[in-house]
Amino acid sequence: MEYKRIEIGDSIGFSTVIDEKFKTSALTVRLITELSGETASEDSLAMSVLTDTNSKYTTIAAMSEALTELYGSGISSFVSKRGDLMISGISASWLASRYAIYGEDIQGSMLEIFSDCLFRPNVVNGEFESEAFAIAKQELLDRIDAELNSKRDYALAKAIETAFKGEPAANRCYGTRRTAEAVTSKGAYEAYKRILSTARVEITFVSAEDDPSVEAMMRKGFAEIDRHPADISYMSLSPLKSEPASVSKEFDVNQCKMVMVFKTDCTDVFALRMFSTILGETPVSKLFRNVREKLSLCYYCGCRKLITKGAIIIDSGVERENIEKARTEILAQIADMQKGDFTDEDMENACLAVENSLDQVGDTTASYSSWYFERLCEGKIVTPEEMAADFRSVTKERIIEAAKSLKLDTEYLMLDREVKE
Amino acid sequence: MMQKEILKSARTGDSCVHVKHKSGLDIYICEMKGFRSVEAVIGTKYGSINNMFRTDSDSEFTTVPEGIAHFLEHKLFENQECGVFELFAKTGANCNAYTSFDKTAYLFSCSANYQENLRILLNFVQDPYFTDENVKKEMGIIGQEIQMTCDDPDWRVMFNMLECMYHSHPVKIDIAGTKESISHITPELLYKCYNTFYDLNNMALSIAGNIDADEVLAICDECLKDCEDHGLETYFGDEPETIVKKEIRQKFDIGADIFNLGYKCRPCSGSEKLKKTAAAAIAGELLTDPSSEMYQRLLKANIINSTFSYEVFTGDGYFSLIFSGESEKSEIIRDELIAEVKRMVNEGIPEKDFRRFQKTMYAVLIRELNNVEMVSSMMLDAYLEGVSPFDIIEHIAELTAQDVCGFMKNELDSEKLVLSVVERKAE
Repeated sequence: MEYKRIEIGDSIGFSTVIDEKFKTSALTVRLITELSGETASEDSLAMSVLTDTNSKYTTIAAMSEALTELYGSGISSFVSKRGDLMISGISASWLASRYAIYGEDIQGSMLEIFSDCLFRPNVVNGEFESEAFAIAKQELLDRIDAELNSKRDYALAKAIETAFKGEPAANRCYGTRRTAEAVTSKGAYEAYKRILSTARVEITFVSAEDDPSVEAMMRKGFAEIDRHPADISYMSLSPLKSEPASVSKEFDVNQCKMVMVFKTDCTDVFALRMFSTILGETPVSKLFRNVREKLSLCYYCGCRKLITKGAIIIDSGVERENIEKARTEILAQIADMQKGDFTDEDMENACLAVENSLDQVGDTTASYSSWYFERLCEGKIVTPEEMAADFRSVTKERIIEAAKSLKLDTEYLMLDREVKE
Repeated sequence: MMQKEILKSARTGDSCVHVKHKSGLDIYICEMKGFRSVEAVIGTKYGSINNMFRTDSDSEFTTVPEGIAHFLEHKLFENQECGVFELFAKTGANCNAYTSFDKTAYLFSCSANYQENLRILLNFVQDPYFTDENVKKEMGIIGQEIQMTCDDPDWRVMFNMLECMYHSHPVKIDIAGTKESISHITPELLYKCYNTFYDLNNMALSIAGNIDADEVLAICDECLKDCEDHGLETYFGDEPETIVKKEIRQKFDIGADIFNLGYKCRPCSGSEKLKKTAAAAIAGELLTDPSSEMYQRLLKANIINSTFSYEVFTGDGYFSLIFSGESEKSEIIRDELIAEVKRMVNEGIPEKDFRRFQKTMYAVLIRELNNVEMVSSMMLDAYLEGVSPFDIIEHIAELTAQDVCGFMKNELDSEKLVLSVVERKAE
């Protein structure tokens, strides 16, 4: 495998990962901007409309037909949240041209489509073409409405909204129904231009063979953009509330959801990651063994970390009558870790689990792409082996210190409706 | 001496090793150069639908509680000394298991020390340990899993559809059963099911990635116990070709209405099923093709969105082509779908459109063959279907537009179409 990164413009990184085992290629352009509640809807719409059509394939039908002709190649836009930042962009993947049955140049055609989507969108009179925009807008409204369909995700989103209230991270990256309804095709097109001008850009090309035309295409496209990259911060620890916030709401559900958000000002990132792994990220974690297996209170009770915000989130699905029992046990497990009540075996298991996962980076094109992007966000390119060594170097004392730094900030409860006598 | 059979795709050059082990187990091994990970899965032809069965030694069929295959999967993760998760934790491997309608599978993925992980996998599936105490403990956990799926609208919309589609076939029963049905599960019943279905003659091991085939076979020799073929027979009842009813609706606390529209098709098996699955998949692609007039009409009228998709749903004794998505006007989609099928059957499928989706499906397979996890899963599925792992590539290559048209004409009968809707409760 060969990895190379160069700067091809003001805050524009271009990375190539060449690994001959792949039968597909993947190209991703990530645009990094500050997340804002005011602009989230128009920013996400600006991105989503880009890959439905472009200046050459001006209808969804035409674009879809072109992609299926190219062996079902995929191109899509994405919007996600990373702490206080919005990571948006375009990603495409296609079969290597050597596998084409009829000799088509799949890669050449896909690069052309990609370039047109990103740099020459379907614009009429200074705004996104109205029909394509209307469809993308309806799609966004549907996504917002459908949030409640997944109860676990909805509860997590509501907990995050409460925990980070007043900070960019409290916003959803799609915005709200109100902000989405207000977006116009002109406003979205202005947002597109703003994002391309101000975003920090990271491009990743993963393939079996290098192709200099990819870099040339990106250089040419971005050379035509008046770049004014804004300063961004990849880390923005969230302040702890003076009193923990508690929010609960009743729904017509069979199972209640409990989400607890803990905050920390600890900057020992690897100690926090080890803490989170031991506490609740594996099937031998303390939460799994005790809350699920020993007390049989739930099917899932796990832990995830938002290092960029200094937060650890624990979520679980439980019966209403067992909420207090589950809460008590979760807090007891954290208290145990604060007292150092975890074994060398717990630490060894956590290291092995992390190493196993790190060792598998590179078996898919997507894993390479996200690995290098995440390392760039963290400010240092390291290999999975180097990161594994960082985990190995964490001592029990450091984990205890990380555990002690955690304080409960927010609790969100999705409750079933109580039967009134 | 076991014979190593090399199974190969002449079209893509991919290959794997197949061995019928003396224990009775079918073993599929795919060495994948350049990959770091290893994925292994051992599966049995035992899922939620296998509730009535007998072996050579039984005169009558035994009926067991709904959800027992899934319950057994949970309990096999616990042996006499400790939990299986703890054994894998010592190697760092990621392990898991799942139960579907017609199979139960246990798997691990790792990057180092696959030999030790393979030993753990092979040993624990051959070493059940069920007690009153550990069965009782599991009821609370699975009870919560059932509660969770009760709140999942995607799950409910599908099972509501299956209830309307099948009169007696157990595919209409929830995989995990109900809180009531699992309350009847005992250690004795679990052993009965285990001894019946976890016979190595009814199972396969599939392993792919950074491995050595000879080393895998040596570990299998070391760990596998010989099994006698008990002549397993399962019974699904006499399922008629008709459906139970055409429409079902349920109110839910959700934000977007969702639907399933399923055609009940005639079930089949082996190579015939593979061909039919390929034809059904291209029919599904054509009927959800964003470049089609029907799709564009429905999209522009806000009746469908990008969630409109299809699934070929097949197994032992059932076959269905299911369309799904979000919509507040799913009855219009039903009418349009019926008309579109009729139009395609009458006018035929344009060769150009057929070729686009044939190429797409070919590319999907090439992608799968480049993914360790997918290869491991694909080899197990081929065993369960009674075909060779690369047969599907040939079936797709040999498929014609007329085959797809024939499938639509013979199987997509509007009288056997079920609409299931989960809709928002009023504010």
